[in-house]
Amino acid sequence: MTALLAQSALPAAMGSGVLAHYLFVSVVMFAIGVIGFLTRRNLIIMFLCTELMFQAAGIALVAFSRYHLNMDGQTFVIFVLTVAAAEAAMALALVVLLFRRSESLDAEGWSEMRG
Amino acid sequence: MNVLVLMILLPLLAAAVVVYAPARRAKWVALTGTLAAGLACLLAFFAFDWADAATIQFQASRPWLPTLGLELSVGVDSVALLLIALTVLLGPICVLASFTGITGKVKTYYAWLLVLQAAMTGVFAARDLIVFYTCFEFTLVPMYVLIALYGSSNRAKAATKFFLFTFTGSVIALAGLIYVAWFNATLVGYDPALLHGTWTFDIATLERAAREMSASQQAWVLAALLAGFAVKVPLFPVHTWLPLAHTEAPTAGSVILAGVLLKLGTYGLYRFVLPFVPDAVVEYAWLIAGVSIVGILYAGLVCWVQTDIKKLIAYSSVAHLGFCVLGLVALNSAGLTGAVLYMLNHGLSTGALFLMVGMMYERYHTRSMDEVGGLASKMPIWSSFMLFFVLASVGLPGLNGFVSEFLCLLGAFQAGDWGGAVGGTGLFTLGPWYAAVAGLGMIIAAMYLLYMTGRIVFGEYREPAGHHEHDVLPTDLNWREIGLLLPLAALCLGLGVYPTPVLRALEPCVDQTIAIVTGAADSGVEIVRGGETEPRLVEGGRP
Amino acid sequence: MSGIERVIQTIGETVVVGAQHGGGHLATVEPGPTWMALAPFLPLVGVVICLICALVPRLRTSKLPAWGTVASLAVAFGLILATWLSLDGRTLNVHAWEWINLSWGDGPGRALIANFAFHIDSLTVLWMLFVTGLGALIALYAVEYMEHDVGLGYCRFFAGFSLFVFSMSCLVMADNLLLMYLGWEGVGFCSYLLIGYFYKKPSAVAAAKKAFIVNRIGDLGLALGIMLIFVQFGTLEYGELFANERLLHYKDLALAGDFAQIPFNVQLIALLLMVGAFGKSAQFPLYVWLPDAMEGPTPVSALIHAATMVTAGVFLIARMFPIFLVSEHALPTVAWIGTITALLAATIGMAQFDIKRIMAYSTVSQLGYMFAGLGVLTSVGAAFHVFTHAFFKATLFLCCGAVMHGFAGQLDLRKVSGLRSQKGWMIVTLAMLIACLNLSGFPLTGGFFSKDMILAEAFVTPGFRVIGWILLLTAGLTAYYTFRVFFRVFVGPVDYEPGDEHHGEPGSFHPHPPGWAVNLVLAILGVGSLLVAGVYFVGGEHGWVGSMIHDSSAHYQADGTHAGTLFGQDPHTIMYYVSAAIGLAGIAIAWWLHYAGRTEAATCRADRLAFTGSRVARWARDKWYVDEFYDFLFRRPLWLLGQVFYFIDRWFVDGLVNVFGILPRLTGWAVRPSQSGLLHGYALGTIGGTAVLLLIVWLVT
Repeated sequence: MTALLAQSALPAAMGSGVLAHYLFVSVVMFAIGVIGFLTRRNLIIMFLCTELMFQAAGIALVAFSRYHLNMDGQTFVIFVLTVAAAEAAMALALVVLLFRRSESLDAEGWSEMRG
Repeated sequence: MNVLVLMILLPLLAAAVVVYAPARRAKWVALTGTLAAGLACLLAFFAFDWADAATIQFQASRPWLPTLGLELSVGVDSVALLLIALTVLLGPICVLASFTGITGKVKTYYAWLLVLQAAMTGVFAARDLIVFYTCFEFTLVPMYVLIALYGSSNRAKAATKFFLFTFTGSVIALAGLIYVAWFNATLVGYDPALLHGTWTFDIATLERAAREMSASQQAWVLAALLAGFAVKVPLFPVHTWLPLAHTEAPTAGSVILAGVLLKLGTYGLYRFVLPFVPDAVVEYAWLIAGVSIVGILYAGLVCWVQTDIKKLIAYSSVAHLGFCVLGLVALNSAGLTGAVLYMLNHGLSTGALFLMVGMMYERYHTRSMDEVGGLASKMPIWSSFMLFFVLASVGLPGLNGFVSEFLCLLGAFQAGDWGGAVGGTGLFTLGPWYAAVAGLGMIIAAMYLLYMTGRIVFGEYREPAGHHEHDVLPTDLNWREIGLLLPLAALCLGLGVYPTPVLRALEPCVDQTIAIVTGAADSGVEIVRGGETEPRLVEGGRP
Repeated sequence: MSGIERVIQTIGETVVVGAQHGGGHLATVEPGPTWMALAPFLPLVGVVICLICALVPRLRTSKLPAWGTVASLAVAFGLILATWLSLDGRTLNVHAWEWINLSWGDGPGRALIANFAFHIDSLTVLWMLFVTGLGALIALYAVEYMEHDVGLGYCRFFAGFSLFVFSMSCLVMADNLLLMYLGWEGVGFCSYLLIGYFYKKPSAVAAAKKAFIVNRIGDLGLALGIMLIFVQFGTLEYGELFANERLLHYKDLALAGDFAQIPFNVQLIALLLMVGAFGKSAQFPLYVWLPDAMEGPTPVSALIHAATMVTAGVFLIARMFPIFLVSEHALPTVAWIGTITALLAATIGMAQFDIKRIMAYSTVSQLGYMFAGLGVLTSVGAAFHVFTHAFFKATLFLCCGAVMHGFAGQLDLRKVSGLRSQKGWMIVTLAMLIACLNLSGFPLTGGFFSKDMILAEAFVTPGFRVIGWILLLTAGLTAYYTFRVFFRVFVGPVDYEPGDEHHGEPGSFHPHPPGWAVNLVLAILGVGSLLVAGVYFVGGEHGWVGSMIHDSSAHYQADGTHAGTLFGQDPHTIMYYVSAAIGLAGIAIAWWLHYAGRTEAATCRADRLAFTGSRVARWARDKWYVDEFYDFLFRRPLWLLGQVFYFIDRWFVDGLVNVFGILPRLTGWAVRPSQSGLLHGYALGTIGGTAVLLLIVWLVT
C-alpha cells in the first residue's frame, strides 16, 4: 500500500508536529462535547454535543490518515458523515416526538426505562 | 436420490403440503408422508449391506461452509439405520394415534409432527458433527410446540422446562464437540499464525483424531458431552424435566419423547462419547454405572408411589434407560449389544404404553389411578394389549425387553472379566456387584408395573365421576387403534423370540466400538503438519 | 387292570434295556430327531385356538377353547411318551432356532449361545411325562369345572393354561439356562395370569401380584447364578457345561472333600441358583405366595401350584446337581431350608380351616421334603417324591375343587361334612381317600415309598440325622392334618351349608355332585395315585425313577459314607416300619379328634382340647405372622422410601433445577436499580467507565 501511494502524485506525509495540532483540536472538541452532554438538560443541545464528539473523532481519523498515508481513515470519515446525516435526521425526529408528548425538551423528564 | 435424504425430505415435503392443504385433509397428508418415509426406510433395509454393517453406507455429502469444513453429509451403519427405522415406524403410528385426540389447530400440529420426524431422522443419519447438532437441537422446537400448544393443564411450564433443561445441557455438549473439532484442527495442516489448521466436522475423522487427546483432555470432553447427553437420556439426577414433559405432552408427543427423543441421548453416548473419549470412559465407567444404578432403584421406587399413570411410565423410563447406560459403560460385547437393543426395545414397549394410556385418556379424561380402574371388564382388548406391553416392559423372557435387559446386566456382570475394559478400582470395579444391585431394579419394575396393572386393568370397575360416554369413541378399541398397536405388539414378540437378525446386524458395529475402546483399533490418523507426515505423540495419550 | 400291568412291565423292560444301553450318566449328547421338538410347542396351538375363539363371536360361546387345549396337551403327552420309548437312555439335543447368539472373537467363553433348542434326557422326560399328562387330565377336568365362565373368561383361562404348559415345557426341556429362564419366568407369568383369573376380586389381584413379585426375587438369584455360570464356565448349554473340564475337576475335588481348592465364585453359583429354586418352589423364606395363590381356580391350583410349577425348583437343583455338588454349603443349606419349611408349613396347615389352604401348606411342606431329599444327596428320592406327589396332590386339589364347585364355593371344613353318604360323591370320596393315604404315607402307597427314601437317606447321611428326626415328626403331622380334612369333610354325619357363591335362601341350596368329566379325571388320577407305587418295583435298584435319574445329570453315585445304620438295622428297612407307625398314629389321632363321636359339621372333639384355644394354636392359624412380618420389614419401608424419594425428587432434585432457573431472575432483581432510566446517568456511566479503562491502560503501560 505504501509503495502504491509513493508512486501516486499525492503529497508527502505530514510531520508529527502538525499531527499534534490536529489532534489537539480534536481533543478539545471532544471534551467540549462530553462536558456539554453531561451538563446540559436540553435534548437538542445534548444531541448537538454528540455531533461535536462525532466530528472530533472524524478530525482525528483524517489527521491520522494523512499522517500514515493510509486512505482508509478518510474513507471511514466519508462513511461516518453519511451515517451521521441519517442519524441526525432520525434523532431530531425522535426529539420532536418526545417534545410533542411532554411539551418539554428536558431530558430529566424521561425515565421510563428505569429498571 | 439418496435414500436417507429422501427419508428426511419426505416428511418435510408432507409438512409443507399440510400447511397449504385444507385442515380436514391434514391428517391424511401427514399419514401419507410418514408412510412414504416408511416405504423409503423399507427400501433402505433391502439396499443395506447387512454383512458389512459397521461400514457407513448410503453416504452422501454436499459442501456447506467449506472454509470451516462443514458438510451436509449423511450415512448410516446398522445402529443408526435401526434407530431410524424405529423413528420412521413410530411416525405413522403417532399420526394415527392423533386422529381423534387432536381437534383444534390441526395443521400446525401435523406440520410440526412431520418436521420433528425429519429432524430425528437427521440426527441418526448425520455424519457431520454440526449437522448432527443442528438436528439434535432442532428436535426441541417441534416438541416445544407440541407440548406448549396441545398439552394438558400445566403445559406452558412443562414445555419451557423441557426446552431450557435440555437446551442448557446440549450447549455444554456442543462446547465439548467443538473442542474435539478444534483439537483435530490443531493436528492437521497446523498454521502457527492462525493457531489452527484445517477444520473438519466429519464424524469419522474426528473419531480417529479424538483418541489422540490426553487423559485430562478426554476427561473434560467426557464431562461436557455427558452434560448434554445425560440430560437427554435422562440420567439421575437430571431427569426431572421428563415426568413433567411426559404428563403434559399430548399422546403422540409422549410416544415420540419416550420412543425416540430419549434415544438421542443414549445414541449420543454410543456414537460420540465411547469413540471420542475411550480412555476417560474406561476410567469413569464405574461412576457412570453407579449413577445409572442409583437412577434405576430411585426412579423405580418413585414409580411405585405414583397415582398418575403417565408420570409412573415416565419415571419408569428413567429406570429403564439406567439399564441401557449401564450396558453401554460395561464396554463389552454383551453390554453394548444389549444397550443398543435396549434403545429399540424401550422405544417399542414404552412408546406403546404411552399409546395405551392415551387411548384410555381419550375415553375417561383422567390419568389418575384413583379415578379409573378395573378396565378389564369394560375394555378387554385394551386390557390385553396393556398387559402385553406391561410385560414387555417388565422384561418377561420371550418378549423384547428381556433380551436387552439380560444382555445389559450380563455385560455389567462380566465387565472386566473378558471381552471388555475395566472401569474403576478396588471395590468399585465394574462387575458382578453392579449387576446384582441393578438386578434389584427388575424386582422393583415388577412391583410398580404390576401395581399399576392391578389398579387400572384389574379390580372392580371404577370410572371418574360424571363420566357417561366416550365422545366419538367406542367403549373398547376401534380398528384404527388396534391396527396401530398390532405392529408394535408383533415387533415386541418378534424381537423377543427371534432377535438373531438384529443381534447379527449389531455385532460388527459393537465389535468396532469395543476395538476402539480397548485400544485394539489403529487410529490410522495421518497428521500433516507443514507438509510433513509424522505421527504425533501426545503426552499421556496413546501414540 | 392287566393292561396297565403290561404297560408297566413294558416300561420296566424299556428302562432296564435303556440303562444297559446308555451306560452311566453324562453320556455324550447326540442330535435327536426334529419331531421331539414339537412337544413343547403343541400347547401353543391351544393358545392360538383360544385366541381365535376369543376373537370370533360365534366361537366365543362354545367349549372349543377347552377341547382344543385338551387335545393339544394330549397330543403333546403322546409325543413325550414316544420320545421316552425311543430315548433308550441317551441324551439328545434338538435344535429349533437361534435365539440369543452373540460372539466376540474366537475361543471358549467368547460366545453367548442360547438357542431354542431342547436337551432331552431321562430327567427331562420324567418331568415332561407328568407335566403334559397331568396337564391334559386337569384340562379335561377344567372343561367341566370352568363351564360357568364360557365366553371370554373361558378363552382366557385355557389360553393361560396352555401357555403355562408351553412355559413349563421350555423350563424342563431347555438345552441352556437362558431358555430355562424363559420357561421359569414364563410359568411365573402364567401363574400370575391364572391366580388373577377372578380379576374383580381384590384379593385375587393382590395374590397374583404377590406371587409374581416374590417369584421375581427368586428369579434375580437365578439370573445372577446363570451369569456367574457363564462367567465361570463360558457356556450356558447343559451339554457343554456338564462336560466342562474345570467343572469335572472341581467335582472330583468335592467328592474327595477338598472344597478349599474350589474357588469361592464357583461355590457361590449353587447358592444363587438355590435362591431361585426357593422362590419358585415356595421354600422358606419365600413360601408366602403359595397359600395366597389359592385364589386362582382350583384346576390351576392343582396343576400349577401343586403338581408342576412348584417342582421347578427341585428340577433346577436336580438338573444342576453337578454344580451343587461342588459347593460346600449349598446342599446342606438346601436340606435345612427344606426341613424347616416342611415343619413350619405342616404346623400352619394343622391349624387352618380352609381345605384348599391346608392343601397349599401341605404342598409347601412336601416341597420341603423334596428339598431335604436333594440336600441329603438322594436326587432319586426327591424326584420320586416329585413324581408321586404330582399325582396325589393333583388328586387332592381336584377333589377339593369338586367340593368347592358342588357347595357354591364352600371351603371351610367346619361347614361341610359327610360327603360319602350323599348321592354322586362316591368317586370323589374314594379318590380323596387314596390321595390322603398317599400323602400321609400309608404303607405300600407311592407316597410311602418316596417319603421313606428321603427319610432313610437323611438318617444315614452323616450330620443330617437331626433332619431325619424333624422330617419324621413332620410325617406324623402331615398324616394328622390330611386325615383331619378327610374325616371332617368326606365322612361323618351329613351336614352342610353353602358358600358365598350361593345367592338366595340357605334352605334352597342343593349341592350338585360332579359331572362325568370331573369324575373321569378323578377316577384316572385316583387309580394313577394307587399305581404310582408300582414304579418303585420296576427297573433297577431304586425303581423306575431311579433309573431315569441314573441316566441324567442329576445322578449321584453314593459312596461308602452312605451306609449307616439306624437302631442297628439297615435304615431303609427299619424306616418302613417307623414311618408307617408314625403315619398310622397321625391318622389315628385325626380319627379320634375329628371323626369319633362327631354329630355335626361345626364341632368335634378337638375343639374341647385346651390346646386348640391356646395362644400357640392361634399363632399357627395366623400363619406365625410371617406375612405381617414381611409387610413390616420390607413392603412398608420400601413404600415409605418411595414416598421419601418422590418428595426429594420434587423438592430437592427438581428444586435444585428450579434454583438455577431462579438465579438469573434474582441477579436481575439485584442490579435493577442501576438502571435509573435517566439519560445523564447512562452518559456518566459510559464516560466514567471509559475513563477508568483508560486509567488502567495508562497505569499498566
